[in-house]
Amino acid sequence: MRRLYSSLVDGRGFDLCLIGIPLVFLIVLSGVPLVYNVVMSFQAVDMFSLGSFIRPWVGFDNYRQLISQPEFWPIMGHTATFLAASIAGQFLFGFALALLFWLNFPGASWLRGLFLVSWVMPGLVVGAVWNWLLSGDFGVFNFVLHQLHIISGNVFWRSDPAFALWSVIIANIWLGTSFNMIMLSVGLSSIPDDLYEAAELDGAGALTRFWTITLPMMRSSIGALISLGLIFTLQQFDLFAAITSGGPNNSSNVAQYWAWDLSFKQYDFAKGAAISVIMIVVVMLASVYYVRSTRHEVRG
Amino acid sequence: MTKQIEFSGVNKHYGAYHALKDINLSIDKGSFVALVGPSGCGKSTLLRSLAGLEKITGGDISIAGEVVTTLPPRRRDVAMVFQSYALYPHMTVEENLTYSLRVHGVSKAERKKAAAEVAVTTGLTGLLHRYPRELSGGQRQRVAMSRAIIRNPKAFLFDEPLSNLDAALRVHMRKEIRALHDRLGATSVYVTHDQIEAMTMADHVVVLRAGVIEQQGRPLDLYDKPANKFVAGFIGSPAMNFLPATVVEGGSVTVDLGNGPFSLTIPVAAPVGAKVLIGIRPEHLTLTASGEGRFDAVVSFAESTGSTTFVTTATTPELMVVETGRRLVATGDRAGLAFSDASVHVFDAETEQRL
Repeated sequence: MRRLYSSLVDGRGFDLCLIGIPLVFLIVLSGVPLVYNVVMSFQAVDMFSLGSFIRPWVGFDNYRQLISQPEFWPIMGHTATFLAASIAGQFLFGFALALLFWLNFPGASWLRGLFLVSWVMPGLVVGAVWNWLLSGDFGVFNFVLHQLHIISGNVFWRSDPAFALWSVIIANIWLGTSFNMIMLSVGLSSIPDDLYEAAELDGAGALTRFWTITLPMMRSSIGALISLGLIFTLQQFDLFAAITSGGPNNSSNVAQYWAWDLSFKQYDFAKGAAISVIMIVVVMLASVYYVRSTRHEVRG
Repeated sequence: MTKQIEFSGVNKHYGAYHALKDINLSIDKGSFVALVGPSGCGKSTLLRSLAGLEKITGGDISIAGEVVTTLPPRRRDVAMVFQSYALYPHMTVEENLTYSLRVHGVSKAERKKAAAEVAVTTGLTGLLHRYPRELSGGQRQRVAMSRAIIRNPKAFLFDEPLSNLDAALRVHMRKEIRALHDRLGATSVYVTHDQIEAMTMADHVVVLRAGVIEQQGRPLDLYDKPANKFVAGFIGSPAMNFLPATVVEGGSVTVDLGNGPFSLTIPVAAPVGAKVLIGIRPEHLTLTASGEGRFDAVVSFAESTGSTTFVTTATTPELMVVETGRRLVATGDRAGLAFSDASVHVFDAETEQRL
C-alpha cells in the first residue's frame, strides 16, 4: 500500500498518471466520437435509428450517393479554392507583416501585439463585421474599391455567386493573417544574427540573404504553419454561417459547412458523417506533414 | 612594409556611450595583430567596425590603401571567423565553404574544385558532405576558417575564435591558426580577452581598455616595458605584484606591507615624497631563507602543481611568488624575498604611468 502510494506520488505511477489523464480525456472526447463518426458513415442512419449503435451496414453506399449528388464536385472545388486562397493569402500577408515588424522600428512590438486582436475575436463577430464591410450598397470595401477606380458599379459580394466564396475568403484571410505573422515572426527571430553577418561578409546582398539564409532556415516553420493553416481552414465554419450560409445556390458552400447542413439541417447523418470522414483523411495527411516538418527542424 | 589596414581617429558612440575613443592603429601587410583587453574594452567593436558590421561615428578606416569607411561589409573584401563560427546550419560543409563563391556567381565545377583544395589544407577532406551539426567543435572551427581562406581576402578577422573550445584543443588550434597565417602570407586581426593567446600568436599586440589603446607593440616589449599599471597587470600570468611605496632621499623608497616599513632602492629617479607603485612580476621574486632577501614575509599559502609552486604572502597587499620546481614552504613560515633591480617596474601611484 505504501509502495503504491509512493509510486503514485513520486515514481512510475506518477508518470503513468500524467500520461493517463490526458489519454483518457482524448479517448473519451475525441477518439470515441471519431470512431463513432467513421462507423456511422458506413451505416444506414435515419431519425428512428439515431439512438442505437447497431444499424444496418451499407458499406460505401453513403459515399457513392454523396459523390453522385450534383453539388458534390462543385462543393469540393469550392473547398479547394477556399483552402488554397485562404492559406496563400494568410501566409503572404503574414510573412510580409512579420518581415515588416522584424525591422524593429520604434513601436514595432506594440503594433505587432495589436495585430493579434483579429485573432482573438470570435469568428461569428468577425463575420458580422465583414457583413457590414462587404455590404453591396453601403459597404466600406466597395467604397474603397470605387475610390481607387478599381470598380465602377457596386459589387454585391455576399449575394453574387461569382463573389460569395471570395467574400468569405477575404474575411478568413483577415482573421488568419495575425496568427501566420506571429508564427513567422518566431521563426524569423530564431535565426541568429551572426548568420546574416557572415553572409554579408561573404558578399551576399539583402535579397540573396533572404533567399539563401532566411527562407531555407524557415523551412520547418513554414511547413508547420501551412499544415496548421490547412487544419484551421478546414475547421472554418463560423464565417460561412455568418456571411453567406453557403449560398447563393451552394456557390460558397464548402465541405465543412455541407457536413453540418446535411447532418443537422437535413438530418442525413450518414452522409454528413461520410463528408467528415473524407475531411479527416485530408487533415490526417496534413498532420503527418506537420509532425514531419517540426521533427526536421534545423538546429545550428 | 606596406600598410594593409589603417584606423585614423576612429570614434564610435552608442548614444551617450563612447565605445571607441580616437583609435589610431596601422597594421602591416602580412602581420598578425592581436587586440586584447578585458570585456567591454571595445576590442570586438573595433574589429566589427573594420568588417563594416558597425558604423563608426568618426574617423576613417582604410584597407589596402582604399578608404572603406562608408562601404558595406560585402564590399570590403575581408573574411571573419566568428566566436560562434556562424556556420550555415542548413548547408553542408562544402556549401558553407563555397557560399561566397556561389554569391559571386562562380560555376559549380569551380566551386567544388576550390572547396576540395581548401579542404586539403585544413584537413576537412572527408567531411565535405556533412552538416555542421554532425561536426565536433574543433571541426566546426576548421570549417569557419576554411570559409575565410577560400575567399583569399585582404584580411582575416578573428573574433575570439577559440573561446568555445576546451583547453587542450585551444592550445593546439593556436598553433594551427598561426601556421596557417604564415603559410598564406595573410594579414590577420585577432580579438581575444586571453593575454596568453595574444602573446603567443601575435607579432603585434594592442591592449585596449575602455575604448582607448593603452599600449601597442611587440609581445615581449609589452611584457618587459609596460607603459602603465593596467598593461603591467594585464600582460603576464599570474599578474604583476604592486607594492605601494613613498620615495625618500638617495634613490630609495619606503615600503610598508603591514608589518613594519622597510626601504628598497629603485632604478629610476623620482622626487622625494612622491607616491609610487613598485611592480615586480611573481616569476621575478625568489624565496630565500629569512633575513637573506630584500625583505621578509610570512607565507599564507603555498600551492604546487608539481612543476611550479605558487606562494602567497600574508602581507597587505598580498604578494604572489612563482617558483620553478617544488619548494617546501608551509603556511606560517617566515621567508625572505629576493629580486634583481632590473626586474623592478616603477609607476606613478597617481597617474599609474611608468616612471
